[in-house]
Amino acid sequence: MTEHSISSAPATAEPIVSARGLRKKFGRKEILHGLDFDIPAGRIYGLIGHNGAGKTTTLNAMLGLTNCEGTIRVLGEDPFAKRAKLMENVAFISDVASLPRFLRVRELFALLTNIHPNFSPEKARSFLEGTDIKPEMKVKHLSKGMMAQLHLAVVMAIDAKLLVLDEPTLGLDITYRKRFYRRLLEDYMTEERTLLITTHQVDEIEFMLSDIMFIRDGDLILHMQMETVNDKFTQLVVSDEAAMATARQYKPVYEETRFGQTVMIFDGVDKAVLEPLGKLSTPTLSDLFVALMQRPTANPETAR
Amino acid sequence: MKAFIAMVHREFLEHRGAFLIGPLILVAVLFGATILAFTVGRVDARFSGAMFTVVPLRVFEVGFIAFGIGWSLYLIATLFFYCADGFAADKRNNAMLFWKSMPMSDFKVLMSKLAAALTILPGVIFGVALLSGVLLFGVAFVTMMINGTVTMGFLGGITQIYGQVALALLVLMVCGLLWYMPFMAIVGAIATVVGRWAIPIALLLPALISTLEWVTFGGYHPFMTRTWTFLEYRSALPDTPYAESWFTSETPFSGIAFATDLINRLDWVQVGIGAVFAVVVIYIASEYRRRVNDN
Repeated sequence: MTEHSISSAPATAEPIVSARGLRKKFGRKEILHGLDFDIPAGRIYGLIGHNGAGKTTTLNAMLGLTNCEGTIRVLGEDPFAKRAKLMENVAFISDVASLPRFLRVRELFALLTNIHPNFSPEKARSFLEGTDIKPEMKVKHLSKGMMAQLHLAVVMAIDAKLLVLDEPTLGLDITYRKRFYRRLLEDYMTEERTLLITTHQVDEIEFMLSDIMFIRDGDLILHMQMETVNDKFTQLVVSDEAAMATARQYKPVYEETRFGQTVMIFDGVDKAVLEPLGKLSTPTLSDLFVALMQRPTANPETAR
Repeated sequence: MKAFIAMVHREFLEHRGAFLIGPLILVAVLFGATILAFTVGRVDARFSGAMFTVVPLRVFEVGFIAFGIGWSLYLIATLFFYCADGFAADKRNNAMLFWKSMPMSDFKVLMSKLAAALTILPGVIFGVALLSGVLLFGVAFVTMMINGTVTMGFLGGITQIYGQVALALLVLMVCGLLWYMPFMAIVGAIATVVGRWAIPIALLLPALISTLEWVTFGGYHPFMTRTWTFLEYRSALPDTPYAESWFTSETPFSGIAFATDLINRLDWVQVGIGAVFAVVVIYIASEYRRRVNDN
């Protein structure tokens, strides 16, 4: 782990998800290198990382879709051993295009009513009000956006304690993406529910997150509440050479030039010290992501 | 149980094309062709009607039994392809992720597929077979009416024939499904692992095993081994002397006699062993499916 692997998330008595020494190998290649984390109830987590960083493997471990070394407990259960039971209280979307295509919308709801003890067809129908999705439509005839709406309606109609969304808006246009997240926040989230999202469009979910986890090459390099991120990391925009040299003495974790100005991100540096040097702000999640996730082997412009 | 029944129903919804819509289209085409044949004079209604009066009951019996055999062959083919494809169908369009998000174990999901292959899917085909029998009898009866040789007593006679043949078909189908259950399970289990490749593999597997026995233990040739002999025995329903003797006799067909004969001659120990084998094979396949992300 790097110096940024600071976990300031509060540890509650009974976290929704708890992982200790979580490791996963495919063949000889180790994908997860011993992750330790707790996810408390009532939070909205963003799990962010490059392609191949281990996000989906981590989620699969939580959902009982893959067996890992180490310990992972979701709602107190071993997800791989008790997946079917766990799914009564856990809902997930791993791919919005995964809905069974041979069914009509009303058939899907009728089926889920019988299969899932916590599914409410009334709720699902109400979530579809105002959309173009009709009960007689076949899933295979829906557009990708409509399918995402339907899938979201399905999972929101499940009274689950944990909702996991793995790239839920992949391939959707901006309108659908915005609507998707707004709906999730307005109609689904309560204090008892926990939401875990992975996406590459980090800026679009930043407003709703309470916590973030950055995963890089199978290691958790940042696990923090958003409030702490705002306190801990500072972005400085500086154009003056002398100020730039002074700022570099405080060891920015990232530096880049944009439109003739230099943007630096600092970790744990007092804002009062940086204020005279330029314009201060809180880095966006995408800036922080780029700052902390750079891999020296992949990008010659390494973090300083 | 409600969830399990719903999963069995889902199999019907997914495969209604092969088990309901297709057969209904086939019946409609055959019925339409028959009506057309009479309408355009390809078949003379008076001649046909007269023919039914020569050996009236036998024509109805043989006609419906022939339909029943035809639908049984259709069922064997569709069930084979269902097992080879339906057990792997959840992989299509990433739908496996959706089904894995449901509170249903992989074992239950696969058992629901096997249960569908033993109940609702053949049940639908049986229903279509009965419908085709009704249409056959309807056409025959109408042609006799045109010919003026029909009586109300005759109507009672063919109704009884219909019931007897339907009973025989039902018992044949149930016994056949129980007898072939382990074959369905093994094809389904292979499909769970390799998808549609299960079709050639399931066809080649008996020959491979038999060859392996021949290579290991010797013998005249690969198809004269204990394995092959057992598979030959296990792949055919027992002979029913009643059916053979009835065909050459002039007595009316008795569904009860046929059913009793078949039930008595079926090796129920093998049926029991086959059922246990089927459950074990499905369990092994479900454990593979449970770990499919790791494979």
